[in-house]
Amino acid sequence: MAKYFDVSVEDIFNTMEARFRVEGAKGVNAVLAYDISGDGGGKWLVEVRDDSVKVAKTDDLSGFSVKTSADAETFVGVNIGKIDGTQAFMSGKIKIEGDMALVAASAKMFTRYSLPKKSAVTVQGIFDTLVARFQPQNAAGLDISVGYDITGEDGGQWTAVIKDGKCALETGLRDNCAVVNIVKAKDYIDLILGKLDPMVAMGAGRLKLKGDMNVAMQLPKIFAKFEPPKEEEEQELIVIKRNISVDMKYSTGPVMGKFFEGLIEKKILANKCPKCGRMQVPPREVCAECRCWAGDMIEVGPSGTITLIEIIYYSSPDPLTGETRETPYAQVHILLDGIGTEETFWHLLKNEDLADTKKGDRVRPVWSDKRVGSVHDIIHFERIRD
Amino acid sequence: MARRVAVCAVAQTGFVSNMWQKRFQQMCFETVESIVKQTGVDWNEETGIRNIVTCSDDVFDARTISDNGITDAVGAHFRGEEKTAQDGINAIAYAMACIMSGHDDVVLVVGHTKESQTESRNMCSNLAFDPFYCRDLGLDFEKGAALQARAYALKSGISETQLAKAVVNARRNAAKNPLANARELVTVEQVVNSPMLCDPIRALHAYPVSDGAVAMLLAAEDKYKEYTDKPVWLTGWSNCMDSYFFGDRDLASNFSLKKASAAALKMAGVSDAKGAFDVVEINDAYAYQLAMWAEGLGLCDENKGGEWIESGILETGKINPSGGMLAGNPIMLGGLARAAEAVIQLRGEAGERQVAGAKRAVAQGTTGPAGQHQAVMILEN
Repeated sequence: MAKYFDVSVEDIFNTMEARFRVEGAKGVNAVLAYDISGDGGGKWLVEVRDDSVKVAKTDDLSGFSVKTSADAETFVGVNIGKIDGTQAFMSGKIKIEGDMALVAASAKMFTRYSLPKKSAVTVQGIFDTLVARFQPQNAAGLDISVGYDITGEDGGQWTAVIKDGKCALETGLRDNCAVVNIVKAKDYIDLILGKLDPMVAMGAGRLKLKGDMNVAMQLPKIFAKFEPPKEEEEQELIVIKRNISVDMKYSTGPVMGKFFEGLIEKKILANKCPKCGRMQVPPREVCAECRCWAGDMIEVGPSGTITLIEIIYYSSPDPLTGETRETPYAQVHILLDGIGTEETFWHLLKNEDLADTKKGDRVRPVWSDKRVGSVHDIIHFERIRD
Repeated sequence: MARRVAVCAVAQTGFVSNMWQKRFQQMCFETVESIVKQTGVDWNEETGIRNIVTCSDDVFDARTISDNGITDAVGAHFRGEEKTAQDGINAIAYAMACIMSGHDDVVLVVGHTKESQTESRNMCSNLAFDPFYCRDLGLDFEKGAALQARAYALKSGISETQLAKAVVNARRNAAKNPLANARELVTVEQVVNSPMLCDPIRALHAYPVSDGAVAMLLAAEDKYKEYTDKPVWLTGWSNCMDSYFFGDRDLASNFSLKKASAAALKMAGVSDAKGAFDVVEINDAYAYQLAMWAEGLGLCDENKGGEWIESGILETGKINPSGGMLAGNPIMLGGLARAAEAVIQLRGEAGERQVAGAKRAVAQGTTGPAGQHQAVMILEN
């Protein structure tokens, strides 16, 4: 089974039912389809219904609410947090068909996949404790060196020099070792932890002893048993969820207030600095550059020219409503007609204009029928095509 | 020896319960305009203001990094600007440090809060508590103050009448301060019969919901003459934090205020707070605090705050001549407004409420639940 970051695609799906969070799936009835390409990939259907989940490997993905397609490495990477999901989506490595909002919601429905813990015991760790494990009472009169030739990844060579009831550890192998243990790193760890029997290992040729066998037989007495460091269980701790909100009322003041009043009348008002002539829309009381009151209001636009266009493909949920704006959508900077300076106005572009609109195109506001003095009195700007 | 620091001018909006006509940016701008008018200070990068220290609250301003939204209004465009946490009196101290260190010659301080912008200031101060225990138990600054008021009353034996007299004094002084919010005179009977908000705090024991802004211009001793001929010197300052969790604190101990006060007195070379000040401005958001903070400042003996209120000292007009926080300054500006009044008094510009011949003043600021943060500033002319 192909693994990416030590995890297979199967690992992700096989643990999904166990990772399901009922509280994160309240009111969700949906079929999430996954089409994972590449080595270790496949097709899965995840059905979330009535506070429960069913995960099945399948060949038929029909009837889904949302389908996520990705290559196996990207899929695993995003699921274990090694790859940024938003970036993968933006760069086209993840494709989503159907109800996008469900993808964001699925992050709440499942706890994140976590890697099974790796052994914390290393060869270096074992040798770090060797001197401390030396038992002088069992080494009286000994004047020997014991060599360790631990081969393979994370291996190394060490010599324990035992003399006068003391033990010193050196790196490298001394020529005069009474005995040298030759063993692969992984097998050595298993031997030390008691997972591999020394006789079995010797019989299979996985442990070789070069030199004085009698010394080798004494080693378990000369050094106390290695105690592996206690692995702390990663406990799932309680996370407290709250939505903090305090109702606010914002004064608009005599400058911005007039701008909002203007919107009701389908007028866009800018303010102008009496010193430098700079115009601001939406208007603010002060010209930051001249540090003076800038209360003169001038009607501008409503048409203008796009100076900057930004298309959003991945929308964040509104923190208060939880709703996610339909994507893609575009925000545009517009230099409104009559603005003598460079200050642009910022609004949305009509979705139908998304495909072929560019910097320099002319736009006009589309007014809402119910205008109350808010930024939404303008629904969006649309291209002037005549 | 570090350079001495002079306050060259102060400006305040009037304090009102709902400044609905203005955005808080405008409130700030009006104080800055006043400072410019008073001093002629400019934003020349070599000789003028190149650093602004502000104080505002993210929750009340309903945005994170609340100072970003006022940089145009406080003149910080293409300048250094930094926001201080805790009371705005800390902003003065920060500006003072900028000048003492030689980093700046002239620093503008601007603080603002618009309590009216929120549905309830108590909902905002509830957010100051940890979300695991205290917030869910309904603590806010008012409830925290009530716990402290209870603890202080048990310890000192302060009476309802004494608490009421603190409010009566606040209103009597505020009536002479055109900037104050709550200026209607009240009687002891009215206070003791006002509805209970949060036992033992009654409605008239609590500062009114308030909006406002305060600005101050500070300059080094070798620069102040360009801006004023009536400098007020910042001669003492310190602040101190108490524990965040109420369970760790002796709420009636005044621990952090005593520490801050002792350090500020030492810096100013004052050996005994009693009798040392011509003007005292105490950050009394609630009536009990006038007495309790007076003890913490060393103005009277331990547990004698109630008696101190009745000692006749309030009738001298020297204690909270502005009306104090009880007359209405918003949260974050309690100490800053106290220092502003001290400056006005030491400049001899307090009109009807002027303390004759005022030479030395103390201003206290506090923020956080039940005075967790305490700051003391000593000013002299």
